[in-house]
Amino acid sequence: MRRISLTFKSFVKSSLLFLSLSFACSSVSYAQSAAEGVTLFKQKCTSCHALNQKVVGPALKGVNDRHKEEFLLKWIKNSQALVAAGNPEAVKLFNENNKVAMTPFPELTDDNIKSILAYIKEGDKPAAGAAGGVEGGQGAQAKDEVSDVMLGSIVVIILIALGVVLVLNRVIKSLEKVSLKKQGLLEEEEIVAAEPGVPAYKKLLKNKKFVFFVVLLLVIFLGSAGWMGMWNTGVHTGYQPEQPIKFSHQLHAGINKIDCQYCHSGAYKSKNASIPSLNVCMNCHNYVTASDKYNGQTSPEIMKIYKALDYNPDTKKYGDNPKPVEWVRIHNLPDFAYFNHSQHVKVAGVACQKCHGPVQTMQEIYQYSPLTMKWCINCHRETEVKYKGNAYYDNMIAAHDKIKKGEKVTAAVMGGTECGKCHY
Amino acid sequence: MLVMNKLRIVGAVLVTVAAAAVISSCSDKRSTGIEYARNMYDPIAYNPDQPNKNFRNGQTAQTPPAHTMPVGFDEPETEYPNTLEGYETASKNMRNPVPASQANLEEGKMLFLRMCTQCHGLTGQGDGSIVAMGKFPAPPSYSKGNSSRGGAMRDLTDGKIFHTITYGVNLMGPHRYQLTPSERWKIVLYVHELQKLQ
Repeated sequence: MRRISLTFKSFVKSSLLFLSLSFACSSVSYAQSAAEGVTLFKQKCTSCHALNQKVVGPALKGVNDRHKEEFLLKWIKNSQALVAAGNPEAVKLFNENNKVAMTPFPELTDDNIKSILAYIKEGDKPAAGAAGGVEGGQGAQAKDEVSDVMLGSIVVIILIALGVVLVLNRVIKSLEKVSLKKQGLLEEEEIVAAEPGVPAYKKLLKNKKFVFFVVLLLVIFLGSAGWMGMWNTGVHTGYQPEQPIKFSHQLHAGINKIDCQYCHSGAYKSKNASIPSLNVCMNCHNYVTASDKYNGQTSPEIMKIYKALDYNPDTKKYGDNPKPVEWVRIHNLPDFAYFNHSQHVKVAGVACQKCHGPVQTMQEIYQYSPLTMKWCINCHRETEVKYKGNAYYDNMIAAHDKIKKGEKVTAAVMGGTECGKCHY
Repeated sequence: MLVMNKLRIVGAVLVTVAAAAVISSCSDKRSTGIEYARNMYDPIAYNPDQPNKNFRNGQTAQTPPAHTMPVGFDEPETEYPNTLEGYETASKNMRNPVPASQANLEEGKMLFLRMCTQCHGLTGQGDGSIVAMGKFPAPPSYSKGNSSRGGAMRDLTDGKIFHTITYGVNLMGPHRYQLTPSERWKIVLYVHELQKLQ
């Protein structure tokens, strides 16, 4: 009996051990395959699929329940072969998705696909970035508050100082009275003070020192205000109007490193740098909704793009009632001054930041340069012309060479036959 | 008396400083400030971004009428529509009209760096700045990846690349509004160089 119980015990022990081991192994291998699935998913699938949202292809959450693994293995390797073979499930799926063919992945093994499916089943772990974003937002808010608090405290300190001055004034007055009383000189003084029918301001006006001081202050104050006002009339430096969409150049140009001219694609070939039309926004924002910062909802600012375009992000269809976004123009030269972006960007090779300032750090765009005539002229006086290897100046150099050699130079050589010389 | 005057002076200075601080802090960054002769800023002709009551939809920038095109643009829509068939026809019939000179390649590279690298990366490996930050899914590598419309990326023809830049595919948007056809062809030249990378 004892022997039997012993063997039984050892059997139970070993089987328990085996069970726990195998469980550990399976969980490890499951975790491994899901981890492999993440990398594969990011490499192969994310161009067209997301877990919870329709991108190009359908959302993949629950795909394991919708289709059998056997079917999925074949479909992912070559969906078009299945459709061509007339597999009813495949044909249905193809038609449901507007007959957009899925990229074949013959290079994926069965195990690869299984690990991707395992990852889809397990789902995406909640992103840690969202919490960080919220905290960051609060931090920024706190900073704003701090600056407000500082301003407020300065005002309060000034007020307190004024109060202290007034109180001290009173105290000194009464002390003087007391000392005068002691000396018996008060009566004479009181007669002056109590002169009937003379209000306090008239008394002040008689005080020459005070009048001089007030006039001096007025001259300084009004003079400097007038001087500043005249110099700054029509100069919009620092102008930062509120825009219809809170577009951050800091995020797009600074952090994401998107070239200025990806959006302002007119800068090097046209007079205007051009404000991008909304279809340029949609090159990225057909996918980017910043939903991780808004609890899974589309960012309200990106929603404004969709609304203006009459675009439905769920069906990915455009309506027929688009409305333009009315951006507020910041940089505005007077109509009598001609400015051409391409001449500066393409011919001279001036960086955008030279005139527009550190746009890549601007949360909200503002006018950096004064755009005054003096400002233009100063730069034109200093800037050296890069004419070597610059096709724009070839004709000019050729004309000068001709003049140097004493050859005949006609008006046509200097652009005299350009249409715009007469028909402007 | 002298003491009192001193105090008055100090008080007046404090008041002026406070007033100056209040006035200067009131300067509004949301407004353009004082303007003289605003009408000199506003053009007599309409700017493209101005409202315009002469048109029914109130905009100055109108959509051009159908089948018209700006100078320097061609409209491949009729010949090579945005379909799989159009893509294949483009592959068969379109040849790059821009010669593969050094200058054109340089320009193609400049345009590629400006318009494409955010996603496709500096060398077309699909590792651009916004992809590296995980904000946008990675496009396939030009030299190693597979096209979603069949075949390897390195085998894409002139017409196929041109068609893709023009209309976009999958998550890539159309870029024909930002790039003229000749600019697109220059990019095609450079993309062919990147396809050869190992």
